Amino acid sequence: MLKKYYEEMKSGLEAAYQQKPRAWTMMNIQLASTFIEAFHEDAKVVWTSFYSFPMELLAAFDVVPFDFEIFTNLLPMFDADKAVEIMNVAEEAGYSTDICSFHRLAVGCSMLGYTPKADLMLTSSYYCDGKSKANQSLAEHYGKESIMLDVPNEISKDSVDYVAGQLRRIAGKLTEVTGRAFDLDRLRECIRISNRARRAYGQLAGLQKVTPYPYIGVPVVNMSIFANMLAGKEIQEQIYLDMVKESKEKIMKGKLVPEKYRVAWLAWFPPQPTNITQIFRENGVTIVMGELARNYWGELDEDLPFESLALWSLKNPYVGPIEQRLKGINEIVDEYKLDGVVHFSTDACRHSCAAQKLIGDALKERDVPYLVLDGDMSDKRKYSPDRTQLLLENFIGVMAGRKS
Amino acid sequence: MTVAINSIGYFCSLVPVEIIMAAGLKPVRVKGRAETTAAADAYMYPNMCPYVKSLFADGLDGGKAACDGVVFTRSCDGMRRLYDAWKAYIPSGFVYMLEAPKNCDDLAVDYFSSQLRSFAQQLGKKSGVEVKAGNLVEAVKAQNRVRRMMQELYVMQSKSPLPVKGSELFKLGLEILSGEGRDSAGTLKSVIDKVKKQAAAGQSRRKPRVLVSGNVMDRPGLFDIIEGAGAEVPFADLCTASRYFERTVDENAHDIYGALATAYLGEPRCSRAATPAEIYARLSKKVKEYAIDGVLLTSLKYCDQVLNDMPYLVRNFTAAGTPVLFVENDYLFSDSGRLRTRVEAFIEMLEK
Repeated sequence: MLKKYYEEMKSGLEAAYQQKPRAWTMMNIQLASTFIEAFHEDAKVVWTSFYSFPMELLAAFDVVPFDFEIFTNLLPMFDADKAVEIMNVAEEAGYSTDICSFHRLAVGCSMLGYTPKADLMLTSSYYCDGKSKANQSLAEHYGKESIMLDVPNEISKDSVDYVAGQLRRIAGKLTEVTGRAFDLDRLRECIRISNRARRAYGQLAGLQKVTPYPYIGVPVVNMSIFANMLAGKEIQEQIYLDMVKESKEKIMKGKLVPEKYRVAWLAWFPPQPTNITQIFRENGVTIVMGELARNYWGELDEDLPFESLALWSLKNPYVGPIEQRLKGINEIVDEYKLDGVVHFSTDACRHSCAAQKLIGDALKERDVPYLVLDGDMSDKRKYSPDRTQLLLENFIGVMAGRKS
Repeated sequence: MTVAINSIGYFCSLVPVEIIMAAGLKPVRVKGRAETTAAADAYMYPNMCPYVKSLFADGLDGGKAACDGVVFTRSCDGMRRLYDAWKAYIPSGFVYMLEAPKNCDDLAVDYFSSQLRSFAQQLGKKSGVEVKAGNLVEAVKAQNRVRRMMQELYVMQSKSPLPVKGSELFKLGLEILSGEGRDSAGTLKSVIDKVKKQAAAGQSRRKPRVLVSGNVMDRPGLFDIIEGAGAEVPFADLCTASRYFERTVDENAHDIYGALATAYLGEPRCSRAATPAEIYARLSKKVKEYAIDGVLLTSLKYCDQVLNDMPYLVRNFTAAGTPVLFVENDYLFSDSGRLRTRVEAFIEMLEK
């Protein structure tokens, strides 16, 4: 069933791209294509976490990466009622409604046979306890081994060596699965490609500082979640360069969105239909940056490929003590001329939501308005449009008061 | 709550207490406050682990702030965030995050060993007592002695009727973990001696035997409910019971830090690191060893690690013909009435 949605999505996007080639459309074509490819009989499919696993390693083996969270949780965008129906299947099998909707939906989809086969199931220890446990449950379902990239909370030579050692072993597992010997030169090439994409993304992130903001807001947050799927592939750099080009054209032509308030979006943007974008549009609010959309990692060193990829993992804002996350948020505040910060607090996201107070206090010190917007990513039963409207309008009122 | 001076509080069974002892300090397994977590609600979002909230409420109230320090581990997302909040809002002398890997292979053991060495160094600086290998080996021997005696009692519990009430054994374990007992080994020895001296009990009606498995439990409420309903608890697979006592460290190892790392990352592992299949295999073995009639699985609310394992465990126990009940708890067991009704119904079913 989900495969069909993605086939329809892809053909619709391709038609749109023919008429008006836009980089964001291409990004979504890539996403849909990857998911469709995962259903090919001959494909070597590696289940993983697009946003928390160093994908350059998978690119070096030319496997098809598959993220069960993203694949299944775009469903509410197509059909929110169907998503609830599928979550019910997981709940009836014993998965508590206190478990994140992302994982209940993924488990439900797998139980119903909507997900592709897995040749290898990789996950990471961060983002989050729920995801790594859901990966284990799904591995049991498919009769596969669940492999966890364990990423510690601290950055040191020891932790880099530990993570790098695990990545080397995962390369060995990929060799077993694909039947292809590990090719160090190919990994280095993927890292070079990834570095070029990073530099292109850096240009884009720089242009996003322009007032008014040149690019539409929500994709910035979403892109930071799934664009890493393409890390190590040429197309990633091309998409970023096209976005840079489109942004420059908009700035040159003055074709910019009306912008009264600039906000940063923390955590995730819900894929299920919400009234958030409508309220933002009506009130001239633009999301100019997401905390994961920053170029927070350094250039990867192709001479130390595994260590570089380990460091990439360790530097993620959601790894490490809260200071690592706050540092990134403060940089956004410094660089993007913000009027406010919104933290989307999805019901079961313990690792993100439990820092709300700490983030709020840090922003208070800097006199930046801050809103904790509670809701749910995929479960419409736990999302209230009226409450969202109330919270956002009050927040916009606060920002307006500051401006006046 | 009174806290011993020169003590270091810890919150998770992954902390090697031997290192704290070797630094001349007393390890104290920290309990959350008994009454309410209300004070924590202003700092933590609603859907947060009640154990974490309880600990934080206690810290805010000055409970563990009286300790010389506290040590956290990367036990779970909730504990990581508790560490952040603790540093920010609770004045404490020594707040340490001990990195504990989620894997248990040789890479993880090597990394954990290095982390344990750093921990020992830092703790030694704090206490003024350098952690030397000799002291550490002595601490390992002392802890192994306590653990082996508890393991001996666990073996005795396979008999029916139970030599020691499940709730009593659980409370004894809690007392040892809390550091309240002055002479843990002595207390355990007297219990073992008493059991050995007990004349073979007369034939009494066999009570349903219930295995309890879950995460952290610091009060015997659930045990009391089970026993009150006419059943007995021969074995408890909990962070604060067998999962602490059922591991021993190789005291003759060439590298004592490596031995500690191997022991603490090894079995019995909780849902944090073990797969549901591994947990099921361990519990199934206990079901046979202890002639268990029913398994009572419990989890703290909002514990993603345990909650995700429950469907697999329930499904497999049911398929194996072992009656199973899953109940969530709020750490404080504040809804004991509802819990009692469910447990009583379960035990009634076991009696049929």
